[in-house]
Amino acid sequence: MKDLKHLIFFENLLQEAHNELVQKACEEGKRCLGYNCYYIPEVLLNLDGCFSTRLRAPRCTSPDVATYYMTGRTCPYVRSILERAIEGGYNHLSALFGSESCAAMERMEEHFYLLRPVKNDDFFVTIIDPPMKGDKTSLDYYKVQLQKHLMGPLKNVFGVDTSDEALRRAIERFNKVCRVITEIGELRKLDNPPITGYEFHVIQLVSEVCPHELILPYLEETLAELKKRKPDPEFPFRARVVLAGSEIDDPEFTKLIEMCGAMVVADRYCFGSMPSREEIEIADGEDAFTAICRHYLHWNQCARFMDGLKIDQRHDELKRLVKEYKADGIIYENMKFCEFWSYEKVLASHIMIEENDIPCATIEKEYALGSVGQLRTRFQAFVESLEIKKINAEGGV
Amino acid sequence: MGKLIDFIDDKLKVFDPIWMAENGKGGQRTRYYDRTGVAKWREWRGTKDTLYDYSRWLMNLGAMGLMVAKNPVAVMKGFWEYRWMGSFLGTFMFIDRLFEGYRGWELRVAHMQMFGIVCALTGRIGMTLASDRRLGASDKKANRFIPFDEVIPPLFTTGFPDLVAFPMQTLPEFIICDVDQHIEPYYIDVAESFGLPADVCSRCAAETGVALDDAFPLVGKVLISTNMPCNASEATSMFQRRRVGLPDYAATFAMIHNDEETALPYSSQIMKEMIAFIEEHYDTKWNWKAFFKAAKNMNEQNTYELEKWDYMKTGYTSEVGISETLYKLFEWQATNGTDPRFTKIDRKVMKILRKNYEDRYEPFGGKTRHRAFLWGPSAVYYTDFPTWCQNAWGVAIVLNMDSTMGFNMISTDDPEQAIIDLTRLEQKATMRHMAVGGWDNINAVWEWAHNFNCDMVMMNDNIACKGMLGIHSIMEEQARDLGFHFIFIEHDLEDSRTVSRQNMRDCVNQYMSIVLGEEPLDPTIITFDDSDAY
Amino acid sequence: MNLKLVAKILCKAGLYGFIGFVATFSLYMFNGENKLIYYVVRPLLNKHYDAQVRDRRIV
Repeated sequence: MKDLKHLIFFENLLQEAHNELVQKACEEGKRCLGYNCYYIPEVLLNLDGCFSTRLRAPRCTSPDVATYYMTGRTCPYVRSILERAIEGGYNHLSALFGSESCAAMERMEEHFYLLRPVKNDDFFVTIIDPPMKGDKTSLDYYKVQLQKHLMGPLKNVFGVDTSDEALRRAIERFNKVCRVITEIGELRKLDNPPITGYEFHVIQLVSEVCPHELILPYLEETLAELKKRKPDPEFPFRARVVLAGSEIDDPEFTKLIEMCGAMVVADRYCFGSMPSREEIEIADGEDAFTAICRHYLHWNQCARFMDGLKIDQRHDELKRLVKEYKADGIIYENMKFCEFWSYEKVLASHIMIEENDIPCATIEKEYALGSVGQLRTRFQAFVESLEIKKINAEGGV
Repeated sequence: MGKLIDFIDDKLKVFDPIWMAENGKGGQRTRYYDRTGVAKWREWRGTKDTLYDYSRWLMNLGAMGLMVAKNPVAVMKGFWEYRWMGSFLGTFMFIDRLFEGYRGWELRVAHMQMFGIVCALTGRIGMTLASDRRLGASDKKANRFIPFDEVIPPLFTTGFPDLVAFPMQTLPEFIICDVDQHIEPYYIDVAESFGLPADVCSRCAAETGVALDDAFPLVGKVLISTNMPCNASEATSMFQRRRVGLPDYAATFAMIHNDEETALPYSSQIMKEMIAFIEEHYDTKWNWKAFFKAAKNMNEQNTYELEKWDYMKTGYTSEVGISETLYKLFEWQATNGTDPRFTKIDRKVMKILRKNYEDRYEPFGGKTRHRAFLWGPSAVYYTDFPTWCQNAWGVAIVLNMDSTMGFNMISTDDPEQAIIDLTRLEQKATMRHMAVGGWDNINAVWEWAHNFNCDMVMMNDNIACKGMLGIHSIMEEQARDLGFHFIFIEHDLEDSRTVSRQNMRDCVNQYMSIVLGEEPLDPTIITFDDSDAY
Repeated sequence: MNLKLVAKILCKAGLYGFIGFVATFSLYMFNGENKLIYYVVRPLLNKHYDAQVRDRRIV
């Protein structure tokens, strides 16, 4: 396929947190608000005068100082984020809106106020206690937490307009981004898609780390380009997989899978588009803030949810993605030392394989891709097993 | 009589390990077979104390005999069915280990409290096995039980006086892991054989293993799980609910923040929903009268606990070390106002403690050199670690993190307030208000240590506890700034294969000998192999 | 007669009590029950547990 016009530009934007577009928005006087987790509604950080950036630590291969603080036995993602903060990589942030999505993440966020690594006088950190069920009591608690630890500080510290009208405007802008990304993402449903999983991963990531207003024109242009883009005459991959798991913010990981012959047709992981790029709908008579909270609690697929309905929902969602995106299997990833995904991958792979006859591979990885030999071998074997399964299903050779 | 006793004591003192250590003739370890933890003979503590220990041994034996006598078939079936039941046979060795070196009042207080635990526990085991569907019990018997996660205070079940509280993990995991260091690795291996990584918390891995190995007693009509106290605990619930297969309610309390405006109302609502869930499934009504009665019990226990703390701050007390910790842990986690026996024990113990203070009684012959606060989740495969610290280096574990849980009072006349108080009790559950739940909870250790006049903080360093690992060096820096002696005790909570008991001892040995330049009280227990011991 | 009987019973009770005390105290002092459990009972039980076929699955 012909190279995408903005792909190299997008790739460059992912090389550091304080990228070209973030710098530009900051120079325009906008406040850059950091977050780590889907539990913090991105849309709320994109109210007038602010923009969101989901924290990544690109090229962080050796988080030595963070390891001193948090030991080498905690999640490498959170250590990398802390390391980058200590290195001065997030000095452009005005605030970090944290979430106790897991203990490691919370501890990392605490270090942002204990060590004060962000050299910005205005900078502050708040942490919400995110709910673990999808019912009304949990929704009410979610609202209360976001009101106290996010909306309140935005209004009181930065003077941000948090009125219903302002939220509706933010939703409108946010939905625009979602529509474009979703439209791009749905191209992966085609038998021979005009986009690779890697390219989509890059596009999704830039939409999460860059100011929406500044990245949107590029995304729209890319969508138009993709609509006209001619795919290779034949589908160049040997299999199609859904990638599920925790924090995967390195497109090279997707590239690695694809180089082993499996196209990543759906991205159900933290930093992925499922969830994150569903449009927010406001029900009749509903206020915008409630709509946002309801939306995020409903779509959230985090492995930390405990009630049966949400557990079933996240497995059903995987099944849906496999079906709709015509995937041959699922790759479950978990970050090393991640308690939630360590358990989830055992349970979910059992449910998928034993109860739904969907092939799964489960892997564990570091944050930064270092020695990839083992992973490559695993992926190659998985792709081969998918091929054999297909051949057998077609009547064998 | 007194002279006769003095004469015997004088003649037999050569068998007293403390005398042996003081006189360079051996010590506690001399009387053990290597590796096994099996003593050739029991500790000679002087005539009076040995006879007292013997009498308590008889009483414990009697309590266990009673358990078998009451439900002989069920208990035998239990031994046959459940691997964890076999580990309960190690109880006598466990008690001996815990109270090694104990003499005088500390021995008496320790045994009085331990007898309460033994009676309550044997009663619970007998009743559970006799009601276990797997062992042939009828639905009628089994359905009286409310299985719930061990981190929810059992006090809430007292509102259902016709039902039986069953903290589900207590028997196969939570208590037995203290008794036998080899039992939980079996269940951990079961969990890991399904692909669970080895770096998750070993306690939760063991719970998962018990579920997958189908080793939970089958009782009750519902399952109450909870998000307390940590991520791995939340995650293991997924397996338990699937394997147990009963209608379940996830009691997801506020994990961080304890504030009155957000966290408390939310958690109170969860508490109410949990109660309503039980009402619905058991077709019964919450009984406030019964609840308030138990709450009074709980309040009395907590009143005593707070008074105990006052004495413990001075050092003139026989409520010490692991004896105090285990009692408090059991009283909170398994009893929690539901058993009046514990209030009676408390009353007796309080009389002794008050007298101890008046007499300025110093435990362990006044040989304590350092007063330490033990923080962080302790290694359950080395429950007698505080006893070892005292005997080896004269380091008294004044208070353990677990002892600081759930000490608030419960309203005994106002239903709305009682629910809020019950929720506060949950917010002060094991680990919840110490090891997780936000920085302030952990940072509180310095104030605790300061208030209890400690010069040392021992920080349990569970190598798989993500919450505690996340603030590792901040704690070390704080200790340095505040002038506390500070020792990380590395361990793997329930898996002694990863970090052995000796590895744990070495953490202390190195600090005491290299940093403080001190000599051990008993050189025979500095380095020894107890890897095959229960 | 009655006194004699009482004395006899007391003597017997004392004797049995003493024998009981000596037996149980010896068992206690020489850690007899723990040795029996550690070296005999548990190994047998463990053999049984190891031979069990358990219904081991996620469900």
